[in-house]
Amino acid sequence: MNSRERVRRALEHAEPDRIPLDLGATPVTGMHVQSVYRLRQGLGLDPPGTPVKIVEPYQNLGEIAPDLAEALGVDVVGVGSPRTMFGFPNEDWREWRAFDDTPVLVPAGYNTDPEPNGSVLMHPAGDRTAPPSGRMPAGGYYFDAIVRQPPLDEAKLRVEDNLEEFGPLSAADLAHFRREVARIRATTDRAIVANFGGTAFGDIALVPAPWLKHPRGIRDIEEWYVSTVSRREHVREIFARQCEIALANLERAHAAVGEDIDAVFLTGTDFGTQRGPFLSPRAFRDLYLPFQKRLNDWVHAHTTWKTFIHSCGSVAALLPEFVAAGFDILNPVQWTAAEMDLAALKERFGDRLTFWGGGVDTQRTLSFATPAEVRAQVRECIALLGRNGGFVFNTIHNVQPRVPPENLLALYEAVQDHRGL
Amino acid sequence: MDDKLTAIGKALVDCNQALLCQEVEGALAAGLAPARILQDALVPSMREVGRLFEEGEFFLPEMLVAARAMKGAMAILGPRLAAADVRPLGKVVAGTVEGDLHDIGKNLVCTLLGGAGFEIHDLGADVKPARFVAAVQEHGANVVALSALLTTTMVNMKGTIDALAAAGLRKRVIVLVGGAPLSPAYAAEIGADGFAPDASRAAKLAARLVTERA
Repeated sequence: MNSRERVRRALEHAEPDRIPLDLGATPVTGMHVQSVYRLRQGLGLDPPGTPVKIVEPYQNLGEIAPDLAEALGVDVVGVGSPRTMFGFPNEDWREWRAFDDTPVLVPAGYNTDPEPNGSVLMHPAGDRTAPPSGRMPAGGYYFDAIVRQPPLDEAKLRVEDNLEEFGPLSAADLAHFRREVARIRATTDRAIVANFGGTAFGDIALVPAPWLKHPRGIRDIEEWYVSTVSRREHVREIFARQCEIALANLERAHAAVGEDIDAVFLTGTDFGTQRGPFLSPRAFRDLYLPFQKRLNDWVHAHTTWKTFIHSCGSVAALLPEFVAAGFDILNPVQWTAAEMDLAALKERFGDRLTFWGGGVDTQRTLSFATPAEVRAQVRECIALLGRNGGFVFNTIHNVQPRVPPENLLALYEAVQDHRGL
Repeated sequence: MDDKLTAIGKALVDCNQALLCQEVEGALAAGLAPARILQDALVPSMREVGRLFEEGEFFLPEMLVAARAMKGAMAILGPRLAAADVRPLGKVVAGTVEGDLHDIGKNLVCTLLGGAGFEIHDLGADVKPARFVAAVQEHGANVVALSALLTTTMVNMKGTIDALAAAGLRKRVIVLVGGAPLSPAYAAEIGADGFAPDASRAAKLAARLVTERA
């Protein structure tokens, strides 16, 4: 059974020959560059000091290069936009000095400016003449969006202002997706998760639009959340227009890549906090579900792709809604949040949702526990989730920095032990 | 007079900022004492908002709308309270710890603490330990509220608590901690006095601990 067959079997809720493994196929199933560096060193893949590429500049995720994927037996690979969260392409690599001195390479557009207090600023599309759109505090490991909220005049609110980032996929973008998918199909037997962009409604990480030079409309995080209550019809109209654009783009993307991909990343909008959902099931059904359902229905009617939803936090109360919206794959399965008992989730939703994640707690265990505790937790999670397929191993969200190297090795040793590798 | 207080309370629970501000202005114009408006209308109504959140009637967006309404009301009431020399329940220095830029949770905690009758000194996000120490000294605070959203920054809470100890202030202040990656066990481990899972419970906890110490 090759990697793609293994993943597809798991997605059909049948047990594959061994648990499939994802690392780095999406921006929410990867690893911070410091941890990638430590893992590569721990596995003996590089001489000390060999830099690792930062492939996602917002969270500073490290590249899961083919040799690392091979060493770990990773079964999935991702295809995403040719532009990063800050709007520049991943090309023309050069060395860069990270706060923690991890040797890293960044693309040419990764242009940072220091601030007097030691933090660094990032500019949209690498353009230093545009106001900065990201800030990493001194000693930090990732960027946060700088909110650039123009003054809001209730009478002049325009739906178009929050649609600037949504438009038809260009011929160049479509060629990129076609080329990348063809290259992966020709060179590996791995499953592919594609993220064509523009399919998530109200993703709070994307609302500030750090890749746009001069965003208009509602861009402040608190303002956006407030708007979902106090300006709901306005938000609904944004979603309705975005949905039409997204449907047309899915059709174009399907014409470009056909059935050569296995899953499509539709949304990373977070609907859960550590303690409970961000909104009531009723509000979810009213504002989000109808649009998500249209995308899912289109994919299921026209393709063999499975659909992927990422939502952090406690979303147990919303899982019936996710199922009703038609999603096939749930990530990151944050069982460390309230009401997210893993055995209960598998019992209630395991025949309808593939759990893509949930393999180990990255908030506490991986960062702070002993290697033995990491191994024990990985074994326990696989035992709970792996039954009857419907499981792709991944950590709960991206692996953070400051993880002891021995814990990184323990994590993958436990996974490989189970997989008989 | 009670009608006016009831109307204020209802406007807050309905998250109607414009109406709330109008009602507060009206009550002041009618001669109601600012302290009475705070204690008999805003504080119990904010507690009701917290209860609705804890019981799953309100969610984060509704809390943010209610917090905005409360802030609007306090902007009107605050100067009048100060002029009337109304003593706060306690003085809070709050902030997101060094290296962490997330502030929505912290802002909400500040609003609910303010709504419970505390005087708030919000230092913002990415606050170094020395700034917490200086603010406690400057304002004579008896509560320090620390927030962190990240696994990589929650460890900086301990540095802040240690800095308070080094400055000889640790016994004078109640240290409360909160944020997504935290747990009661972690709070105890770093020597905090309390942990709250959300803003509503943070306000209740602060009020209880301050009263116990008084």
